[in-house]
Amino acid sequence: MQKNLIYAGAFITLVLLQVFLIDNISLSVYFHPLIYVAFIILLPLDTKPIWMVGLSALLGLTIDVMTGMGGLNVIATTATGFLRSFVVKMVTGHALGTDASDSSLHRIPEKNFRWYIIAMVVLHSLIYFTMESLSLLHIFHTLLRLVVSDIAAILFIYYFVKLFIEKILTR
Amino acid sequence: MYKLIEFIRRIYVVLIFITIEAIALNHYAQSSYYTQAKILSRAHSIAGGVQSSIFGVKHYFTLRGENEALSQRVAELEQALAYYRGRDVDAATDSLTLDNIDPAMIESLSQYRYTTARIIANSISRSRNFITINRGLMHGVMEDMAVISPSGMMIGYVVGCSERYSVVLPMLNIDFRTSGKIAGDEHFGSIYWSGKSPYKVEMTDLSKHADIEIGDEVVATGLSHFFPEGIKIGYVESYAINDTQTSYNVTVRLAADMTKLNNVILIENVDYGEITDLESNPQREN
Repeated sequence: MQKNLIYAGAFITLVLLQVFLIDNISLSVYFHPLIYVAFIILLPLDTKPIWMVGLSALLGLTIDVMTGMGGLNVIATTATGFLRSFVVKMVTGHALGTDASDSSLHRIPEKNFRWYIIAMVVLHSLIYFTMESLSLLHIFHTLLRLVVSDIAAILFIYYFVKLFIEKILTR
Repeated sequence: MYKLIEFIRRIYVVLIFITIEAIALNHYAQSSYYTQAKILSRAHSIAGGVQSSIFGVKHYFTLRGENEALSQRVAELEQALAYYRGRDVDAATDSLTLDNIDPAMIESLSQYRYTTARIIANSISRSRNFITINRGLMHGVMEDMAVISPSGMMIGYVVGCSERYSVVLPMLNIDFRTSGKIAGDEHFGSIYWSGKSPYKVEMTDLSKHADIEIGDEVVATGLSHFFPEGIKIGYVESYAINDTQTSYNVTVRLAADMTKLNNVILIENVDYGEITDLESNPQREN
């Protein structure tokens, strides 16, 4: 129960940060980090697939309603949530710890953990920016947006997830 | 039957995932700038209060400079308004003078009405950017009002209003379209944003007979009904003849710095409804 509240707190924090802070930083058209995907990244490894899809869709829907993006975030987050188990398998291979009773992200070794965050952020933003531009005409422009935004997002999410699982979740 | 239920039980997550994606895709596909703006204006009725406070603090530090710019602009507009009022009244009445005409009538003869607003949310990092301003229906703001900067540069036009807030479709939105021309030349082209730089827009279909030089001023034509003729858009940065050798493609450097907006002026074309009604009903009784 307490853990659920902590995750709910993370959900609200990330949504508020995205809508009221990140979206208001107008540095450049190429700078649009999507940090709210951190919520999907930090969900426990044993989260049931139906909950993964449901919570991811809820996350996207919340962002869509608050920013008026007409379904774009639901498309990106739901697909990312659905594909997370494949991403975990892909980046960890057989490196995942054997203690199946431990559902925390600690089971992912540090090196693989970094790749896990990178893969999830890139997957999400790839869907988001592709769907947003809906055209191959500005492919290099879209790619540049993806690279610049993802570097910022990965840095933020790495430290946010570390802080969450090491300081907040283990208290 | 049992096998079918068992099969569905195994793949129900995939089915739910596909259903959610299909609904979201359908909704996204149907969301034109107009529907997006509608959602935005409602969302900002709630979020607007919070954002208003955040921007309030930021805005406080730039008040002095803005007040000076606004006052200067108001003075220019007053001067222009007085000229047009006088001209229109002269045209409408042969023997009457300004002193013995009802002020309401003078107001009705002036084609444009002006009001001011403060920006409380502005993004430049998306392909479809929007600006939220702190004036809505209760302040007399309506859809299709033109939005310009205090120094008279084109910003965009209003596409959605709630009671206290409105959403502006700025030039930095790939759905934005208007017409522009080189100042002092009557050939016009279509203005749109390619989504690449917040400082530049493109003008296409400008006749190859247009008299164009790098650095020339690009202004509104007045053909769009939103913007009064002559509102400044920007300056010609580069131009090239298109592949079919029929017209110029022009890159225009925006006159307004869309990344540093705080206050705006809203312009209502009071004849807009009449003009659009007329255009949508071309068949008239003889």
